Amino acid sequence: MTFGEYGVQALEHSYLTNRQIEAARIAMTRHIRRGGKVWINIYPDRPLTKKPAETRMGSGKGSPEWWIANVKPGRVMFELSGVSEAVAREALRLAAHKLPMKCRFVKREAGEA
Amino acid sequence: MPEVPIAAEPRTEFGKGYARRTRVAGKVPAILYGHGTGTRHLTLPGHALMMALKTQNALIRLEGLPGGHELALPKAIQRNPIRGDIEHVDFILVRQGEKVTVDVAVRVTGEVFPGGMLDQQLVQVLVEAEATNIPQSFEVDVTGMEIGTAVHSSDLDLPPGVTLAADPEALVLHVIAAPTAEQMEAELGIPETEVPAEVPPEAVAEGDAGAGPADDGQSG
Repeated sequence: MTFGEYGVQALEHSYLTNRQIEAARIAMTRHIRRGGKVWINIYPDRPLTKKPAETRMGSGKGSPEWWIANVKPGRVMFELSGVSEAVAREALRLAAHKLPMKCRFVKREAGEA
Repeated sequence: MPEVPIAAEPRTEFGKGYARRTRVAGKVPAILYGHGTGTRHLTLPGHALMMALKTQNALIRLEGLPGGHELALPKAIQRNPIRGDIEHVDFILVRQGEKVTVDVAVRVTGEVFPGGMLDQQLVQVLVEAEATNIPQSFEVDVTGMEIGTAVHSSDLDLPPGVTLAADPEALVLHVIAAPTAEQMEAELGIPETEVPAEVPPEAVAEGDAGAGPADDGQSG
């Protein structure tokens, strides 16, 4: 936890596309409505390529298709503050449903940096 | 803060193989340094160490060392990111009455004025205190704080013997106006009531053509 009081932590390796991150952010922001602050600790800065369907091998690398963030276990991807724990739990549960890996809710411990 | 006694054993073996065997046996590898002394390698009991390190800046009395016990503060704690187990600890040697510079937590109590939102910028503040008398936390009561009110590190109530080592003008927390419904809708991009139930797949494919990292800004 770096900024907020509550967060969602990845428990597995995964690629996260910009669309998944945006979907999670919207789900979270929509639930907390007024009064909360959201931090996104991941950024999809890596292009992922794909060759078109039914194409023979060769003739160079495929074209960039997605932008992804490479997430490793333990990474706190989204953080929240300024809302009650119940609201934060629900908002992050909704956000976690948009993500492709196992996640868990984490809370800042007393005195944790 | 009271001293927490922990029985330490000096170790002579190093490396990941030994460290893993130590952890399997319920112990934690650690090192102790400071005051110009050479680095000392230790093994500590895992459960006692975990209980002691639940308190921030816990003053540990390492017993059973050659030459008597030593007082130490945890400088760096390595944890397993998933399980949270302690994997390794760096201890820094301290003396009775010595002044040390440590981070102390800022605890917020109370509720801000309705319509306001608390924005806490610093969760810890750097202070100088006697190693044997480090405060556990600084409390800030935000009850009734109005929008625009700010607390800087110089506004914190420091106990006697504790001096601020951080920038006195550093913002600890402030109360900002909670975003309005319109601002929230603007941030979401589309109003909740206008979310289309079904989007044809062709439209999604076309809309995606220019998707890139610029589409996902950092929020907050």
